[in-house]
Amino acid sequence: MAVDRREFLSGAALLALALGIPVAAVRLSDMADADLPTARQRVLAREVSQLVIPRTGTPGAGEVGVGDFLILALAHGLDGSREPASASSPAGEPMPLRPDGSLDHLLWLERTLDRAGGGDFLGAAPQARAAMLAKLDATAFPPGPPPADPSPWALVKGLILTGYYTSQTGAAQELRYELVPGRFDNDIPLTPGYRAWSSDWTAVEFG
Amino acid sequence: MQHQFDAIVVGSGITGGWAAKELTEAGLKVLMIERGRKIEHQVDYDTETKAPWELPFRGLGDAALYAREYAVQRKNRHFNEFTEGHFVNDKDNPYETGADTDFTWFRSYQLGGRSLTWGRQCYRWSDYDFGANKRDGHGTDWPIRYAELAPWYDKVEEFVGVSGAKEGLAQLPDGHFQPPMALNVVEQAVRERIAAQWPERCLTVGRTANLTEAKEAEGRSHCQYRSICARGCSYGAYFSTQSSTLPAATKTGLLTVVTDAQVEKVDYDPKTRRVTGVRWIETKTGARKAATARLVFLNAGAFNSVHLLLNSASEAMPNGLANGSGVLGTHIMDHANTLSVIAEFPGFSDRTSFGNRPTGIVIPRFRNLETLDGQGFTRGYSYQGGALQSGWSRGKRMAGTGAGFKDDLQQVGPWRMVLVTFAESLPRASNRLTLGKATDPRGVPQLEVHFAHGAEEHAALADAKEQAAVMMTAAGGKVLMGMDRPGPGGSAIHEMGGARMGWDPQTSVLDRFSRAHQVANLYVTDGAQMSSSACQNPSLTYMALTARACAHAVEQMRAGVI
Repeated sequence: MAVDRREFLSGAALLALALGIPVAAVRLSDMADADLPTARQRVLAREVSQLVIPRTGTPGAGEVGVGDFLILALAHGLDGSREPASASSPAGEPMPLRPDGSLDHLLWLERTLDRAGGGDFLGAAPQARAAMLAKLDATAFPPGPPPADPSPWALVKGLILTGYYTSQTGAAQELRYELVPGRFDNDIPLTPGYRAWSSDWTAVEFG
Repeated sequence: MQHQFDAIVVGSGITGGWAAKELTEAGLKVLMIERGRKIEHQVDYDTETKAPWELPFRGLGDAALYAREYAVQRKNRHFNEFTEGHFVNDKDNPYETGADTDFTWFRSYQLGGRSLTWGRQCYRWSDYDFGANKRDGHGTDWPIRYAELAPWYDKVEEFVGVSGAKEGLAQLPDGHFQPPMALNVVEQAVRERIAAQWPERCLTVGRTANLTEAKEAEGRSHCQYRSICARGCSYGAYFSTQSSTLPAATKTGLLTVVTDAQVEKVDYDPKTRRVTGVRWIETKTGARKAATARLVFLNAGAFNSVHLLLNSASEAMPNGLANGSGVLGTHIMDHANTLSVIAEFPGFSDRTSFGNRPTGIVIPRFRNLETLDGQGFTRGYSYQGGALQSGWSRGKRMAGTGAGFKDDLQQVGPWRMVLVTFAESLPRASNRLTLGKATDPRGVPQLEVHFAHGAEEHAALADAKEQAAVMMTAAGGKVLMGMDRPGPGGSAIHEMGGARMGWDPQTSVLDRFSRAHQVANLYVTDGAQMSSSACQNPSLTYMALTARACAHAVEQMRAGVI
C-alpha cells in the first residue's frame, strides 16, 4: 500500500525536526502519485542507506533522511535514473520498469534483497542484512575495470552517497564544510586524521 | 532627425557592459537593452550562500524539470541547482539545428548575460592568431594585428583585474596582471618536469578575471577562494557587468537600462544609409517598443547579434542588415574540446591544499608556431585543467559499504590531473546561421544553427590526446583515460563569428573597427565579429575590440561622420 502523500511529507518534516536539520533538507516536492513508495520500500531505503553509511562517530545515512532523499532522487531522475532501461538483466532476468520505460530502482532493490534474504530482507538479522548488502555491492563493483553494463546498485549507492555527503551531518560533521575559505594555501601537509572538505567542489565534480 | 539617445547598446553581457561604460564615460547618452530579467549585484544572488542541504535536490537540481525545460542548458558543467536561475529556459527560448548538426547553445539571458556565468579565463591573442587566416588560407585575413590591439588589451585588463603569471611566450603575450594564484604541489612538479623535457611547453596558472588584490575604489574585494562564481559574487571579486562595467556606466548618470526587452529589429534608413534605432518586444507584456539613436552597438552575444542582423532585413537590404556581401551568418566557429587525459599522480599523498582556487592551469599552444608541424592541422590547441584531490564522490566508483567505507571516504583521496583541450576551430562557410522556419513564443523567427567540426579539429584533438598522455607519463603520472572526440558544437561556449571582420566589403561584414562596411553607425563588437577562433578563450579579445570600437565611434561622432 502506498504511503499517503501528506503522511509522507509530514513524516519527512518530523524526521527533519527531530534531527535538528532544516526541513528543506528532505522536502519532497512534486512527487507524482505513481512515484510514491510503499511503506515497506520507505523503510527499506532508510535501512539500506544506513547499511552503506552507518553510525560511527557521526550519525549514519538512514538517520539523517537519506532514505527519503533516495526516493525523491529516483523519482526525479537524478544521475540518469529515469533514462530508458532494458527490460531484462544481462543474465536474462526480468527487470521492473516504470510506465515511462525507466527502471524502478526501488522495486528492483526490494526484490533483489528479498530474494537474497530468502523472501524478507528486512526480517533478517542485522548482521545478515549487512552481509547481504555487502555481497550485492561486491558483485556490482568487481575488481578491475568497471562493468560495461553496471548493476542498478551502482546508481542507487551513488545517490545514497550524494544524499549523505550533501546533508548537513555528512557535509559538515563527518566531513568539513567551509563556504568562504578566504585564502588559498597551495601546499600544506596532509597529516593522518585530516578530514576532507565537502566544500571542495572541484574534488566532488572530478574526483 | 531628433534622436532619443546618442547610442543604443543591445545586450548587457561582457561586451555590452563595456560598450555602455566606454560610451557613457565619453559623454554619450546611452540606452542599454537586455532581453532577460534584472539581476541586481549582491541583492539578487539568491543561492550564493546556500549550502547543499538547504536545497531540495542538494545542488544537483531537479533532473525531471531539467529534462523538460532545460534540455540543453543542463549539459553545461556550470549548470546546477545553485546556478539554474542564471541560464535560459530552453523551452521558452528554442532554436533549430540543421539535419546533421548537434549544437548545444549555452545561454544566459539576464542583466549581465554570461558575464555572471563565464569561465573568467583571460588570454591575449598573438599574431600567430591574427595572422592565421592569411598564413594557411582558411577564412579571410584579419584586418588587424596584435600591435594595434595591445594597448586596448592593457586598458581592459587593468579594469577587469586579471591575475596571472608572466611567462614571456610569443604565442600567449603577457599582460597587465595582478599577482598570480599559486600552483598546487602537483601542478608545480608537472610544470617543472614538462619544462625539463620540452622547454617550449609551459604549464602556468590560468589567467583569470578573479582579483588577487582588491580594487577598493570600485568596491571590489579580492577573491575569497570559494569557486562558486556562477552563483554570483557579492564580493565583486570576479569581473562581471554587475561588479564592474555597470557601476562605472551608471556613475556617469548617462545610462538608461531596459530589461525584459527582446530586441527584434534594427531600423535602417536607406536614404541616409544609417541605422536609426531598434525595436523590441517587452517579454512580460508582449508590447512592442522602439527607441532611436545616432549610433547602435550590437552586443547580444555572437549568435544573437547575427540573428538580429538577419531578422532586420528590409527592402533596401533584403538578405539582412549589413549583408551586402552575403557572408552574414557564415563561418561560425566554436573550439573543439574534449577531456584529453585524466592521470593519477602518486608520490604526493602527504600534501594537500586549502581553499578553492577559481582557476585551473593552462598549457599554451605549442603546435604550428614557427613551422607547420604536418600533423593534419595547421592551427593550435591548448590545454586547460589542473591537479586536484578526489573527494567523497570517488565512493561512487568504489566497492564497499559500512564503517570502514565511511572512514575511508572521510580522508582526502589521491591526486589526479585533468587536461581539457581547446582546439582552434576553422572558419568554414558551411558552418552558418540562418533564420529557421518556426518562431519563438514571442513570434520571432528562431535561429537555425548548421555546424560540424572538420578533419583539422579531429586531427588536433587526436594529437592533443597523445601528447597529453606522453606529458603526464613523463611527469610521473599514471594515465587513467583520455578522449579525442569533440563534444557537440557549442560545448566550449566559445561560439563566435557570423559577422566577420575583413578588409573587403565584398567578403566580410565588418571593417577593422568592428563597424559594418555598409552602415557607418552600426558596430558589432561581441563574438560575431571574429574572423578566426585561435585556441584561447576569446572574451578578453572581445572586450579589447569593444573598447577600441567605442573610441572609434566617439571619434566619428565628434568628427561629424556619425
